[in-house]
Amino acid sequence: MARFAAGKAPFLRAAHDKDYGTKVMMKDFLIALLPVILYAWYKNGIRVYMDGNITFLEMLYPLIFIMLGGIISSLMEGIFFFVTDKEHRTLKDISQKLSLSFAAIPGLILALLLPLYTPVWVLIFAAFVATIIGKMIFGGFGHNIFNPALLGYAVVGFTLMGVINNAGGLFNASEVLIDSYAGATPLGALAANKQIDYNILVKPYGDLWTFFIGNYPGALGETGTLAIFFGGLYLVIRKVIKWYTPVIYVGTVFVLSWIIGVISGDGGLWFPAYSVMTGGVMFAAVFMITEPVTTPTNILGKVFFALFLGVLTVLFRFVGSLPEGVGTSLIFMNIFTLPIDKFTGVIRTKRFQKPGGLYFGILSGLVILLALYTLLKAGNMYTAFIPFLGWVI
Amino acid sequence: MIFQKVKGIFIDGRKDMCKKNPLTEYLSPKKVYIPLIQRSSILKAEVKVGDYVKLGQLVASIDKPFTIRVHASVSGNVTAIKKVWHGSGKMVDAVEIENDFKNELADTIKEEKNIDKLTREQLIEKMELAGLTGLGGAGFPTHVKYKTKLKIDAVIINAVECEPYLTCDYHFITNYAEKLLKGASYMARAAGATKAYVAYKINYREIRESMEPFLKDYPNVEVFPVKNVYPSGWEKFVVEQVTKKTYKNLPAEAGVIVNNSATAIIYADIVEKNIPQIVRPVVVTGEGVKVPHAFVVPIGTKVSDLIEICGGYIDGLDPLKYNYIAGGPMTGKAILIDDLVVSDTLGSVVIKPIVEGLYPECLGCGKCADVCPAYLTPTEIKKAFERKDLKLLGDLNANKCVECGLCSYICPSHVEITEAVGKGKAYLLKGGK
Repeated sequence: MARFAAGKAPFLRAAHDKDYGTKVMMKDFLIALLPVILYAWYKNGIRVYMDGNITFLEMLYPLIFIMLGGIISSLMEGIFFFVTDKEHRTLKDISQKLSLSFAAIPGLILALLLPLYTPVWVLIFAAFVATIIGKMIFGGFGHNIFNPALLGYAVVGFTLMGVINNAGGLFNASEVLIDSYAGATPLGALAANKQIDYNILVKPYGDLWTFFIGNYPGALGETGTLAIFFGGLYLVIRKVIKWYTPVIYVGTVFVLSWIIGVISGDGGLWFPAYSVMTGGVMFAAVFMITEPVTTPTNILGKVFFALFLGVLTVLFRFVGSLPEGVGTSLIFMNIFTLPIDKFTGVIRTKRFQKPGGLYFGILSGLVILLALYTLLKAGNMYTAFIPFLGWVI
Repeated sequence: MIFQKVKGIFIDGRKDMCKKNPLTEYLSPKKVYIPLIQRSSILKAEVKVGDYVKLGQLVASIDKPFTIRVHASVSGNVTAIKKVWHGSGKMVDAVEIENDFKNELADTIKEEKNIDKLTREQLIEKMELAGLTGLGGAGFPTHVKYKTKLKIDAVIINAVECEPYLTCDYHFITNYAEKLLKGASYMARAAGATKAYVAYKINYREIRESMEPFLKDYPNVEVFPVKNVYPSGWEKFVVEQVTKKTYKNLPAEAGVIVNNSATAIIYADIVEKNIPQIVRPVVVTGEGVKVPHAFVVPIGTKVSDLIEICGGYIDGLDPLKYNYIAGGPMTGKAILIDDLVVSDTLGSVVIKPIVEGLYPECLGCGKCADVCPAYLTPTEIKKAFERKDLKLLGDLNANKCVECGLCSYICPSHVEITEAVGKGKAYLLKGGK
């Protein structure tokens, strides 16, 4: 007689396969970021160098800056592990923990969310907020409530935006020289003018094609719609993310913006297209609202999450005081990930029986109400007067 | 709902390691140990130490909640009542019978003369007297299913065997194809049904081919292919595929009764020769066995005897690096000591190397919810159980979990999610105790 090993059913696991598992998913995530990083480097480094506005070393700076984000956040998590766990302080233990914690990803995304000329100490501060406060204090990978990178970006955005602007802000060395960039970012122009006019919003930057390629002022990663699209396509093909989360989110922003355009008297499709290609909507759609830890787990939850997020993005963008609205709405929705998960879980099992139907009604009712409110509020802002809407608000 | 399309996933069967070896009949072990437990009911022994028992003689029984009768699978003297390892992972009492190799038959075993005149009640009574239970692994007493008051249109013989590694039904059917068809038609009569379906996995052409020569003699039996996915052999999934109808609790609500193929083959003998349920097919397979084999053995045989026939474990096997699994690799239990006894619920023993690795935490990807064949949300059930939220567990239908193991299988972070959902289910069924 012999004593055999203990174990739990099922004894077959897909994760035993080297080509499947969370590590592979995270590796795919990094690969998907590659086109975005490369485009950011091209736009802010190579292109400016070819224009003759910077030196060769300065050309490498965008790439170094992005890499720095990943390295700093990895280092910070390493130090965190070293400080908190007294018994496992060898290099092997810490590198093992880091490999299970995927420390570099929040750092890379954080760097992509920031403008090029962000001082490095601001990046370090943001990385600290992202990894230590946003992730490790909650219990590490898998336990964080807020998207770490976004939390770091939000804190810096609220407190240190002046510092970033003084250091150079959103313009790279070439863009500074272009006179027509009046309101910094395209969405800044929208917020400043409060007017849906092709000549003000799109003309100064070129045409919609410019926006699709991403050659306009903005944070490092958010502008290159085409590059982001390729990254998203790769993630969908590799089954890391579900295609409908980004599609529903972008679709909601698109449709609501279009309706707002129609209310304001310009029904052209250029405006919704402009809306989804600016302010990081695409970047968030592919890399942030699909981030599994801080977004709902089940399919129905993801759908509702994307719907709410789309409506809130438009609401914050047109009604709130901040121009872009993506980050604010995502941080706001991160709070509701757990309840959405719970309610949609019940809807999945109970369908329209009690209490599934009730939950479904509440969730979809909320989305519709929010959307209506957004439209009324935004419409009120952009049109001088619409009689039948006027008395509602 | 539109987002509930996925029904099972393809899992590499790895059945070839056992498929090529023929079925071995091993009917006379030196000693058998008849476990005094059936599902969760403790049975009352009807024999004492020192008694002589004939083959097929009643050994133990119980009346409540259902009538269960267990018979001697060899003839000989009862030498002891002692504890043995049971497939459920526990040690249970068992009646040890030393085989005298005379195969003296009990008086009840005789040829049935007027098979065609047997009424429905008589056919069901035979099941009860023979102690026929579901041999697919659940071990539910068959006669209880047939005593339903609902109208039964068809009997479905489940020959799907969707678990990887296992070839127990495959071997038993291909060897006893005609008996299966006989058993199926008797079962249809016992249910008052007009039709019997034999559901098999579509990639097992051999099963269909073995039955084809006899099919014309059994016009009410039809062979029905089901999808090559896991868990295609789940009762509800089989019923949905065959009848296109579904049910809430019991298949009888959809007008069908589902039985395992091995049960049907044994039932053919019960009807024709009155031999009670004393044998069953068992497969011993896995990477840890030299020559994997499928067997027909008396209930109570020691698995160690069978492993010996398989040539033993592979050379240099380190037991602590292998799992000894009672049941299939998806739903079975790891047994720590390799001293297992074949019971009516044990269809297989798999010896499989363990895979060690470091995995990150649950990242909330939702793959477990996507693959769940019962459309549950495993992550939420796990959370609700950790909070001991009984109402939420009920709202999430935790009791509907079939513990198929797919959620743990698909999990990229190797989370023991099936176990957690199983605990939530047990907590809910016990009403929060």
